Amino acid sequence: MTDIKDQMLLDRLAAAAREGKISRRSFMHYAAAAGLTTTAATGLWTGAAKAQPAKGGTFRLGMHDGNTSDTHDPGTYVTFSMIQVAHTYRSYLTLIEPDGSLGPDLASEWSASPDAKEWTFKINDNATFHSGNKVTANDVIASMNHHRGEETTSAAKALLSDVEDLVDNGDNSVTFKLAAGNADLPWLMTDYHLAIVPANEDGTANWQSGDGSGPYKMEEAEFGVRYSLTRHEGWHLEGAYFDDLQLIVLNDPNARQTALVTGDVDAVTQLELKTLALLQRDPNIEIDDVPSAAAITMPMLCDTAPFDNVDVRNALKLSLNRDELIEKIAFGAATKANDFHHSPAMPYFPEGIEQREYDPDQAKSLLQKAGAEGLTVNLSVADSVFSGAVDMCVLFAEHAKQAGITINVNREPNDGYYSDVWLKKPWCVVQWGARPTPDVMYSLAYKSDAAWNESRWQNERFNELLLQAKAELDDEKRAEMYREMAILAKDDGGTIIPFFPNFVYARRKNVQHGPDLAPSWQMDGARACSRWWFADA
Amino acid sequence: MGDILTLVGKRLGLGLIILLVISLIIFFMVELLPGDIAQAVLGQSATPENLAALRREMGLDQPAIVRYLAWLGDAVTLDFGSSIVTDARVTEIIGERFMNTLFLAAYAAVIAVPVSIILGVIVALLRNSIFDRVANVVSLSFISSPEFFLGYILILYFAVKWGMFPAIASLSEGMSFLDLLERTFLPALTLVLVVMAHMMRMTRAAIINLLASPYIEMARLKGAPPWKVIVKHALPNAWAPIINVVALNLAYLITGVVLVEVVFVYPGIGQALVDAVSKRDFPVVQACCLIFAATFILLNLAADVGAILTNPRLRHPK
Amino acid sequence: MIFVILYFALLLVLSCGAAYYNQRSAFLLLFSLTLVSLVVAIIGGIPGLRFISIAAGMLLAAGMMSYAFREFLTALASDEMAKELRTAPLTAAFGMFVIFIVAIMGIFAPAIAPYGEAEIVSQAFAPPDNNMLLGADQLGRDMFSRIIYGARNTVALALCGTVLAFILGAMAGLLAATKGGYFDGFMGRMADVIMSIPSLIFALLMLSIFGGSLASPQTSSWLLFGFAVIVGLLFLAAAAYSLVSWLIGAAIVAGVAFAFALAGTTIFNASEIILILVVAIIYSPRVFRLTRAVAGNVVVMDYIEAAKLRGEKNWYLIRREILPNSTAPLVAEFGLEFCFVFLLIAGLSFLGLGIQPPTADWGSMVRENATLISFGEITPLIPAAAIALLTVAVNFVVDWMLHRSSGLKE
Repeated sequence: MTDIKDQMLLDRLAAAAREGKISRRSFMHYAAAAGLTTTAATGLWTGAAKAQPAKGGTFRLGMHDGNTSDTHDPGTYVTFSMIQVAHTYRSYLTLIEPDGSLGPDLASEWSASPDAKEWTFKINDNATFHSGNKVTANDVIASMNHHRGEETTSAAKALLSDVEDLVDNGDNSVTFKLAAGNADLPWLMTDYHLAIVPANEDGTANWQSGDGSGPYKMEEAEFGVRYSLTRHEGWHLEGAYFDDLQLIVLNDPNARQTALVTGDVDAVTQLELKTLALLQRDPNIEIDDVPSAAAITMPMLCDTAPFDNVDVRNALKLSLNRDELIEKIAFGAATKANDFHHSPAMPYFPEGIEQREYDPDQAKSLLQKAGAEGLTVNLSVADSVFSGAVDMCVLFAEHAKQAGITINVNREPNDGYYSDVWLKKPWCVVQWGARPTPDVMYSLAYKSDAAWNESRWQNERFNELLLQAKAELDDEKRAEMYREMAILAKDDGGTIIPFFPNFVYARRKNVQHGPDLAPSWQMDGARACSRWWFADA
Repeated sequence: MGDILTLVGKRLGLGLIILLVISLIIFFMVELLPGDIAQAVLGQSATPENLAALRREMGLDQPAIVRYLAWLGDAVTLDFGSSIVTDARVTEIIGERFMNTLFLAAYAAVIAVPVSIILGVIVALLRNSIFDRVANVVSLSFISSPEFFLGYILILYFAVKWGMFPAIASLSEGMSFLDLLERTFLPALTLVLVVMAHMMRMTRAAIINLLASPYIEMARLKGAPPWKVIVKHALPNAWAPIINVVALNLAYLITGVVLVEVVFVYPGIGQALVDAVSKRDFPVVQACCLIFAATFILLNLAADVGAILTNPRLRHPK
Repeated sequence: MIFVILYFALLLVLSCGAAYYNQRSAFLLLFSLTLVSLVVAIIGGIPGLRFISIAAGMLLAAGMMSYAFREFLTALASDEMAKELRTAPLTAAFGMFVIFIVAIMGIFAPAIAPYGEAEIVSQAFAPPDNNMLLGADQLGRDMFSRIIYGARNTVALALCGTVLAFILGAMAGLLAATKGGYFDGFMGRMADVIMSIPSLIFALLMLSIFGGSLASPQTSSWLLFGFAVIVGLLFLAAAAYSLVSWLIGAAIVAGVAFAFALAGTTIFNASEIILILVVAIIYSPRVFRLTRAVAGNVVVMDYIEAAKLRGEKNWYLIRREILPNSTAPLVAEFGLEFCFVFLLIAGLSFLGLGIQPPTADWGSMVRENATLISFGEITPLIPAAAIALLTVAVNFVVDWMLHRSSGLKE
């Protein structure tokens, strides 16, 4: 375990060195504390401090989660491998920078009306599709309309439900008119469904051709198997250092790791955490461990006994030992959570809210107060939720024994878990992907009338604050509101959040990246292909 | 001989009926699966209106029986339709993958079948010797470890430690045949180890079962050497169960290799089938299952014909 | 160095001793071992020799244990049994010994295991120490205790599944062989239908349908009842010959099936029952086909013709003529099917189906830590070795029975 922590410390040191945040003297000092010899530390210092991108080479990436039925349709992007590919051959209006801030992609600049009801995006004049055509306002509107309207089959429909109209301003800019103010609209534009594709004559989106305006051009796509791409010369942003890409779907965790170890690929997504410490020993491999906004949640239906009693809910929140879960389930690669769905990797994170710890005695007394001593509850879970999900529940059940609570772990079939168990069984385990802002997350799964209010939690004050914060353009005021909401969710809500899993992926030593890695997706916000480079190219 | 031809004809007819029954079973099993296509395609984050729209687009708003009959109508003319999810032709999706699967199965079978039958004869000859025991323990240990685990061990030694063969069996265009054999060696070897024990042990059992028969006794008394007794006298009468087991294992090589495909990232048909089931993509599931079933039926027919041809008594019923 | 000298001295003394007492095979074995050791010592050095001596020691220990166990059994058993047992080769005795140990482990698991199967006692992947013989698993549970509990859970499930598959498949196969005609054809096609659907996919579909929200005690006991009735009807079809006997038989079948369902639901929980039934249904056609093939060869024998001409009933033919003459391949098949069932359960947990946590099960224990093998860690090898040992043991016993029933006197 110390291995991983030391390695993380070293990684951070190296990153700090690259950014010039740290002097050589203190670098050497901390590196020695992490168990590094002076020679090794000197090597690391020089290596870290002078990393410069170089062009060239074929980057081979092994990706998890690919399915034969993936398609070019942005509305039905669902597997991780397709999301990764989408960020490589298509582009979006905005993107999340490595440091977690919002940056320009196709839109070079954007502005809002004071009530945040109208947003105008100016399109980059240099942006072209792989076919050679310029990206126009017309293409943007067609791409957005693909997700709007009665007949759409897009999974991003809910995201754009507030958009009333899209206007082509004639000066290569588009204005979004919203029904209600939304200060987060530019953040929403980073959603992986909202890729910009060329428009057809009739104003519909032409996604079928596989054309896009991303850094790489699709040469050959075998869905769920492999994708070959070459650089799109004249891409509108900085980067795209590799000449060619081979994106290969490797669903089996062991296959990914061995392929990396044997050098059959240059980088892989999603490592199996169990073997992290062992993989660490390989001198040719670098592991990236990035705190993320993804989360593991355990929603309890607040309208179903015994979870309709807030004391029971809080007793359960008190009877899991988060530290042990992080150590044994996430193998240290996670950030401790505090029962509100707002990760430190999201903007407006409320610092200093008291951390809830494992306290079986207090849980017992809460149960006594609720008249529910010796509580027995069922917890539904499936292996597919995340690797170690079932183990986590078993461990939780052991912790809860100390509080006199019996948790029966029910393993449900992987297949159909999200249609039969989630939102239906009184208590289950869910993994949420990273969402860019707290507003998106709370509106999606905590708002009282949200379709996926997974705990059926109703709290008036929370909903009121949510609406206010959404239209608030003043960052400080907004942060204050999110703090109050976090406390409400923590002390009254129906969702236990044990931890925010980190993104853990690996590359061979000769693959280099900048000082920061974006927290939005694996592989540097799914943009590793355009942001990373070969050291020896 | 004419009898056998009639038998084959009859069995082929029956095979078609079996395929029909299977298509019905598969259809309704997929129907009964919890969740539906729209949900599976759009994932966790779909709204009810979304789902309804997608269902309409896919034609799922019609009753099940109508959809089945529509599919059947096309299937009779050998048109297996298009994937509901991706809209691509089913033949296009699984055609190449099926060839890959067949190739891997053939590769494994070419090694496994002769080796295991010869080994079976040898261990029957040397029954209860050290060699018999060792062959037994080794082959049993191989089949008693899960095949994905066996694959991992082979990868560890042959790919990671010794670097003799590639860990990933991904194929690309324009590979030479030798390259292909090298790339797919590890998955083929895994399969060989998995199926060999069964065939070897059945060969041994079937032969030993006959050794106490009077006619074997007779042959032995005549003074024929032990190997001749087994190869000339026992083996011909032991073919029926052996052929049966061989057919079973050949079918397994084609239909049961999903886990090996996953472990070695081999683009075979098993992975496509599991993906299609998870997406409730009925036409693809149906086509894959029917291909598997047809393979199986043909292999079985071959086994039965083989059993008849090798057993004189069955060949000339009284 | 002392080790090497002692090692060769011992081997040489033993081989000379064997030669002096005219023990030809023992001498050959020992002397060839000496020669092999010489080669190994040159190539592999002392570790190689150590490996050989440990392996030989373990083999010797296993041999002695098997020998003692056989004597123990002969001492306990009745005269007739004792006579049979004395003919058992050492391998079979070893097999029986392992099966005996596994049975003891399974039955008295709570008493033997130092910790509970779900109890977390240490760090993840803690190495073996005085308290934990085999170290800890990924959650810090005692590996040794879980292996012992796993014997109980896995073996019980696999055994039930295999036995049910055998009863159903063998009965149908024998009946089809004797009755012939349409019945034979019909059963054959039924088996074809089930077998032509790949087993992993079939299990995936069945378990997804029945295993999720439908896995209630009621559904599972109904399914169990239905299964028992089908088997009962097969028996009836073989044994009954008049309307009256059909009626009486039907009543008995219903009663037995009910008792069976009741017993099943008390022993296993709902999802386990469904797992057992799925396994039984998937594997019974394989048993059917084999039985049908073997019995088909027997049915055309002259003595069956003779019995038929004597006017013997189907039931008599099956029981007294066909079954005794086709046990050997069936028994051999049983040993193999038993371990296939193990593997199917392990494979199912690859798809997230199978045994409920935190129940220990050897197959799932392999799967949970399988990737560790790529780094040379032995954690997943322990349950895998347990499965292999039991399979090998079962098949050793099976081999002996096969040999005995074949009537070979050598």
